[in-house]
Amino acid sequence: MPGLRRLRSVAPAASPPTDEDLLLEVARGDQPAYAELYDRVGGLVYGVVRRVVRDPAQSEEVAQEVLVEVWRTAARFDPDKGSASTWILTMAHRRAIDRVRSEQASRDRTQRVGQREHQREYDAVAEEVEVAFEHEQVRTALAALTDLQREAVELAYYKGYTYREVAELLDTPLGTIKTRMRDGLIRLRDAMGVAS
Amino acid sequence: MTADIHTLTGAYAVDALDDEERRFFEQHLEACEPCAQEVAELLATAARLGAAAAEPPPAGMKAKVLAEVDRTRQEAPRPRVGGSDRAGRADVAGGPTGRPWWGGLMLPAAAVLIVLGIGVGVLVNDLYGRLGSLEQEQVRYTEIMAAPDARWVEADGPDGSLGRVVLSASRGEAMMLVDGMDRAPEDHIYELWVIDEGGATPAGLFDVDDRGRMSRVVTGDFADAAAIGVTVEPAGGSPQPTTDPVMVLELGT
Repeated sequence: MPGLRRLRSVAPAASPPTDEDLLLEVARGDQPAYAELYDRVGGLVYGVVRRVVRDPAQSEEVAQEVLVEVWRTAARFDPDKGSASTWILTMAHRRAIDRVRSEQASRDRTQRVGQREHQREYDAVAEEVEVAFEHEQVRTALAALTDLQREAVELAYYKGYTYREVAELLDTPLGTIKTRMRDGLIRLRDAMGVAS
Repeated sequence: MTADIHTLTGAYAVDALDDEERRFFEQHLEACEPCAQEVAELLATAARLGAAAAEPPPAGMKAKVLAEVDRTRQEAPRPRVGGSDRAGRADVAGGPTGRPWWGGLMLPAAAVLIVLGIGVGVLVNDLYGRLGSLEQEQVRYTEIMAAPDARWVEADGPDGSLGRVVLSASRGEAMMLVDGMDRAPEDHIYELWVIDEGGATPAGLFDVDDRGRMSRVVTGDFADAAAIGVTVEPAGGSPQPTTDPVMVLELGT
């Protein structure tokens, strides 16, 4: 029965490849593997970029750049150092931040922080709507932080503020903000059981 | 920058450092294994925050990306050297995963940057301790750094690259570091010049590695030198600069 034989021959490969397997294949120039990886991480990349950059058209542009960069530099990925999704999301976040900062570089920083402060109320509302997208575990872990830890982490990660700007916004000493970002993340790490 | 650079792991993991601090901190990570490990974990944590924001990408995006991928040449894989001792490096902005040939030299380089850029007593002791155990070429770095007339100069280069030099006129030596520079164009090379009233004296050729970095000792007569310059020259170098400099480190003499 040819059909059965075919079935047997594919049976050992039945367990789906991990993201890391795919990325290693991509590093060898495998375009079908890339297409599959895209299906898994395209939404992650677009989501994080959109969260930081906000404007949909610009977000799409940056997300595309990041995804092509994943293809181009896949050989740099080292599974010993972390997961494929961490590697890709770190790249996506960095690019999104770079875009936001370069857009704002020509403006007066102080003035910008002042303006942003007035927008915070609006942002907070938008935030509540977006929270619906968040994974339950992440939401629970964030909720367990102190207010200052959570604000410091969220303003930096989701809004792209530097820690200096966060200190200014929250009217809190720089050293405190640095420490809260670190101990906030450490708490999240422990709450979510993250290993590198 | 306050005394405890180690607490920057969190701010680094959420990209809350400005460019300059990020560079300093990445150099610190080269030398601080506990920080590197912590950063790896915090980056993985931050990635979870990112994943929580996932949303379906625009419908046409996949086709555009796949088309772009189809015409984009991949970087060649690089041999992995020295295992994965850099567990925590955020190797995102660029750079091979293996340790480059000059990896050993970057330890004193990182030390210099931290000592001079941040000036923290505890770190100074720690890093001087490490420096003391290094040999040969690395001793030259230490000696330049420790020279009574050692001076520190920085300059911006193209595309956000940065040049730094620690220079001792009495020794006639400078330790030069370049970070974030594109490789020289094909069939070209970067040439260093010591510039004084009499003109430009060639001071060596270099190209950056895949991470856009270079570190080396430059020798020359710096007593009356006004600047160290970098130009792009045809492969093999030129006796005199043939292009405008891409980087000028003004020595302020």
